[in-house]
Amino acid sequence: MTSIDTEGVRVTALAAGRVSRLPGWFVILWRNRKCRIGLVMLAAFVAVAVLAPVVAPYGPRVDEFAASTGPSGAHWLGTTARGEDVFSQLVYGARTSLVVGLVAGLLTTVIAVAVGLTAGYLQGVVDEVLSFFINLGLVIPVLPLMIVLAGYAPVKGLGLIIIVITVTGWAFGARIKRAQIITLRTRDYITAAKFAGDSTARIIAFEIVPNMISLIVVGFMGSALGAIGAEAGLAFLGLGDPQTTSWGTMLNQASLGGALTTGQWAWLVAPGLVLALLITSFTLINFGIDALSNPHLRED
Amino acid sequence: MALLEVRDLSVTYSPRDSAAVRAVDRVSFDVHEGEFVGLLGESGCGKSTLGTAVLRLLDRPAAITGGSIRFDGRNVTTTPEDELRSLRWVDLSTVFQSSMNSLNPVITVRHQFADTFEAHPDAFGNKQGKGLDIGARAGELLELVALDRSVLRRYPHELSGGMKQRVALALALALEPRLVLLDEPTTGLDVVVQRDILDRLRELQARLGFAVLFISHDLGTVMELADRVMVMYAGEIVEDQPAAEMVTRHLHPYSAGLLGSYADPRDEVVKVEFIPGRPPDLSQPQQGCRFEPRCPVAVDTCRTVHPELLPAHLGEVRCLLVEQATDPRAVLDKAAALRSRDQVFAAGAEARIAAEPVLVMDGVRKVYKTRRGLSPTVTTAVDGVSFALRPGQVTALVGQSGSGKTTIARLLTGVERPTSGTIRFKDTAVDQLGRRALRKYRRHVQLVFQDPFSALNPTRTVAYALSRPLRNHLGMNAAQARTRAAELLETVGLSPAEQYLDKLPHQLSGGQRQRVVIARALAPEPELLVADEPISMLDVSIRAEIVALLDKLVRDRGIAMLYITHDLLSARLLADEVMVLNHGVMVERGPTLEVIGQAKDPYTRTLLAAIPRPGARQLT
Repeated sequence: MTSIDTEGVRVTALAAGRVSRLPGWFVILWRNRKCRIGLVMLAAFVAVAVLAPVVAPYGPRVDEFAASTGPSGAHWLGTTARGEDVFSQLVYGARTSLVVGLVAGLLTTVIAVAVGLTAGYLQGVVDEVLSFFINLGLVIPVLPLMIVLAGYAPVKGLGLIIIVITVTGWAFGARIKRAQIITLRTRDYITAAKFAGDSTARIIAFEIVPNMISLIVVGFMGSALGAIGAEAGLAFLGLGDPQTTSWGTMLNQASLGGALTTGQWAWLVAPGLVLALLITSFTLINFGIDALSNPHLRED
Repeated sequence: MALLEVRDLSVTYSPRDSAAVRAVDRVSFDVHEGEFVGLLGESGCGKSTLGTAVLRLLDRPAAITGGSIRFDGRNVTTTPEDELRSLRWVDLSTVFQSSMNSLNPVITVRHQFADTFEAHPDAFGNKQGKGLDIGARAGELLELVALDRSVLRRYPHELSGGMKQRVALALALALEPRLVLLDEPTTGLDVVVQRDILDRLRELQARLGFAVLFISHDLGTVMELADRVMVMYAGEIVEDQPAAEMVTRHLHPYSAGLLGSYADPRDEVVKVEFIPGRPPDLSQPQQGCRFEPRCPVAVDTCRTVHPELLPAHLGEVRCLLVEQATDPRAVLDKAAALRSRDQVFAAGAEARIAAEPVLVMDGVRKVYKTRRGLSPTVTTAVDGVSFALRPGQVTALVGQSGSGKTTIARLLTGVERPTSGTIRFKDTAVDQLGRRALRKYRRHVQLVFQDPFSALNPTRTVAYALSRPLRNHLGMNAAQARTRAAELLETVGLSPAEQYLDKLPHQLSGGQRQRVVIARALAPEPELLVADEPISMLDVSIRAEIVALLDKLVRDRGIAMLYITHDLLSARLLADEVMVLNHGVMVERGPTLEVIGQAKDPYTRTLLAAIPRPGARQLT
């Protein structure tokens, strides 16, 4: 992540975009084979999540089937201890994971960008104060904090999980963005914008942010990835919202319902496997994003 | 057999997103044992690509697509990577422009040398057996490049740019190579430091007897140092002559154009020329002579017949006219006569009439206090400086790096306030401006930056960059701003403006970018322009063009300009008055010709001595 050429990215993206009709950044991502696989995988997950009612044979909470059965024609991955269809839960669970990834990833990125940019651009006292909070966010052990927040919060639900993940996850991104803006703010074109009479807000939004897009995207991907994992982890520990179907709660229930002892491997393995696949797709896409921020990786 | 034999070498860039470019096109040349060869050309002519190809360090998307490179009889083009490793650095080493950044920041200089010796156990240093004293050998090498042995214990960040570049040079010589490839080794350094390193290099080369391939766009330096000079244009070698011949009896019109950029600033009348236009786009097939569109003496056949590199005089030339003429020099004499007036920029000896000053700096002193450890350090950056800037006149501010030039610029533009003394812009006290007043003041004071590559936001179009000052300072709406932006582009010679308005900076050449930067500075109709080394990053061949543009704008619009520079030649061309700054104190000041002609201060003399004078070495 050192010395990313964030200024060059937009330029090459614009150049690449001119050749074909697609947006330039997409062309670069699509060309990378690993990234292409990741994009296809992610697209499949999104499609399944959006079309969940069509794909899933039953509702995720319908518990009218025989409990704890193995895979069969009617129930591809068997049923839970409460008599729910595992495959349907798996399909609906994709929604939770993606929503958490998207929303928590976005929130984290927004906070990180706002704090990082303000601290890095203004410097002085503002920077001292904000950096203090960034450092605080970095040194506090995340997992215990998550567990405490999730465990003792008066309300339960997906919203709470997203907030917990955001609160614990923004600091690292903010630190990186602060570092990047400190190098960008000394560029001559920033001085030129000041002499052109532009306001600070405008300089940040129009002169600096466009040169950091790749870093922001990388940050978003990282946060979304972390959020998906964190949600599954919290849910597995039983701190999730029992009313939501997610892969984490499925794992949690599978372990509570004694899936291993009853030999229902599918119930246990399936949620873990799709989770791993989703995370893999993000990682593969990140290879393409590397190419986006480093022109040398692009000629393969 | 020559040490380095390059035959019909072609290098092609084939990026995925754009058409293939043949950056080096069937180039052949030799470098003999112990010979100092200069390779000249504008940026983008393929000289660095050629150098990288010789080292076989080309990276995708570039690749050697034809020809061969033989080093000491070995074909480097086909040698496997593993065998190359024993060749590199031992027989063939290099110093790049950015070599100073190639030192590993986490290890000491001594350690860098140790690494080099360790990587090549069979090479020179270890010939006497295992007992090589690294410290002693590295110390010797540092002394060669005029550095103290104590540098061995230092880390790269503790050294200045010039010192780092010397270390890089010492490292390149560590294993006593037979050929050293130098790619703009001093560009970006202070002129005096640059001079010093190059003088040392020439001395070492004569003493140690290695061959040098010296790549540079700075023709003055190359001609002074080299035995033989090759001029490259658009991927081809267009002329190859002994250096002494090149100065006085060059034959190719392009060489003549390059040489025209030099003059002695002490002359009564100083005249420099520039070559209009840009090198051709090599992704298009080329017909005829590649220099034809910019050539002042081109004839019809030049457009259709591609000339070959043929023997002429003492070397080789690629020009149809030279080929056909019985007296090749006549061609150039004709060229000199044909060169139109806008290609020549001259400064006479006359002084201009004084006008009422627009800005007055009086007894200004700036002290910086830094606290490092327990004792605070006090640095006086500017000490008791007074001067006045007048409309329609250019005042040059000359001084070494760290002499306080930039601090003066910062004080002038209100970025910083003086510790004592006053700065007045007409009736405004610049040293007491509040935030809002400062913004208003900046309408009248604008900057022209040194580096055209960082002065424009890479993600914003030319129209956007120009529209901001127009909308903020002059209150124009979007449509008015666009119209005015187009007018401004025409003013700075980018026409037709429509072609440039929606371009991004990377689509423009360095000179074009600098024109946009100048246009942006002119946009709010300022009365005061501060230009901080506006031409030092540009190719020598287009510097005069930008100087001419600045001169015209200042005179026509009655702008007062502070021109900060190292370069006495451009100061001579542009400025009415010169001030020399040394350690924050103004040591010399007066009309340009007087200061430069009868320099009294030792620093001014050093600067004068650092100006390359092609042919000087041969004459003395």
